[in-house]
Amino acid sequence: MEIRLEDVWFTYDGASYVLKNINLELANPGLYILIGPNGSGKTTLLKIISLILKPSKGRILVNGVDYWGLSDESRQIELKSRIVYVHDKPILLRGSVEYNLKLGLKLRGDLRVDESLVEYYIDRYMLREILDKPASKLSSGQAKTISILRALILNPEIIALDEPFTFLDASRTSLLIQDLARIASNGSIVIIATHYIHRELKPHIKQVVELINGEISNI
Amino acid sequence: MTESIYTVTIRSIYISSIAALIAFMSSIALSTIISRLSRKYVEIVSSVFEALVGVPTTVIGLLVYMLLFPKGPLGALKLIYTPYAIIIGEFLVAFPMAYTYMFRHYYTRREKIRELVLSLGCTEKPVFKLLLRELTPILLSAYLVSFSRAMGELGVALIVGGGIEGYTNVLTTAIAIQTSLGNYEYAIQLGLILVSITVSLVVVLKLLGERVLWRLD
Repeated sequence: MEIRLEDVWFTYDGASYVLKNINLELANPGLYILIGPNGSGKTTLLKIISLILKPSKGRILVNGVDYWGLSDESRQIELKSRIVYVHDKPILLRGSVEYNLKLGLKLRGDLRVDESLVEYYIDRYMLREILDKPASKLSSGQAKTISILRALILNPEIIALDEPFTFLDASRTSLLIQDLARIASNGSIVIIATHYIHRELKPHIKQVVELINGEISNI
Repeated sequence: MTESIYTVTIRSIYISSIAALIAFMSSIALSTIISRLSRKYVEIVSSVFEALVGVPTTVIGLLVYMLLFPKGPLGALKLIYTPYAIIIGEFLVAFPMAYTYMFRHYYTRREKIRELVLSLGCTEKPVFKLLLRELTPILLSAYLVSFSRAMGELGVALIVGGGIEGYTNVLTTAIAIQTSLGNYEYAIQLGLILVSITVSLVVVLKLLGERVLWRLD
């Protein structure tokens, strides 16, 4: 899968642009880093790549198809289902940890659920004991873990993560870096927005994109 | 002859629960529509409804009377001094309350849930269902608030219902009429029933809401 942003501009209020003239190509599997100071537009760019926000100007080409110009809704749904995004601040719903963890699978009615993948992540991150716990009672780190794993178990072709290591302790950070590197090497595009590149992450990085004041300053 | 407390109570619950239900459903529908508008319009509608909460029930009763009295625009429907007239009036009393109570939560949670659903590679289709599930305690409270408001109001029930024994007499009108007749003991009993129904319903449904919440998975 590949995604290409052509001359993308974005504004929330119609007055000032948060993103300006973005041209970016994520054509090959691997781990991409989107770096930049606070307020540089990293989150907005990730949401545009994840097809959550529609650009104010410009085109998003997914496998060569202009996504927002598509009139075929089923094709749009099919393309969208292959891209997921993980929020900086985890959004968990009322209900148990298990409910939240499997929410994506449930919403998509995915019949090709790889139960072994779900079990793998539950064991690897030692979540079995808290599966029945209300999500509202989780610590920030636990909530963050659940929101990341909820996306990973969907086995996406493109996964965009906004500051994924915030709130995570050292051991979970290491586990997550290993998993993201493995997913990238298995053929997915992993794009991480951060203002700090973790030491363990460096060997796995394919490309770093620097964003300053809504413009790509360096690739 | 004075009507039995039991009959008045059942009639009151029946009328108020229907009025509150219509107010509740209308609030969900209006919240869904308004939450899609721009922030400016959201603020305008919210301000109007917040102001309407404070309108005296006698004014609403007068408005409904003007609509329903025999020579009024809806006079042909012959609804004045019927339980239906009270339901219409109590709906108008409860609606701003239910909407105001519900909307802020609805608006903020809707945007978050929409983002979550989209972030998981889905379309917006499941947002409404998830939102209702997420807001269950709030919706329950909104219904109870509107029920309590409908149950406890007097102006509408007296003006458009007339407190006719065996037909439109509800707890509040019965209390007013019995007090004016000097039948204080009976009025006090009705008052106690009114308060205990409202308080116990709120307590029981609140506790029930908390208990069922985690079983919605």
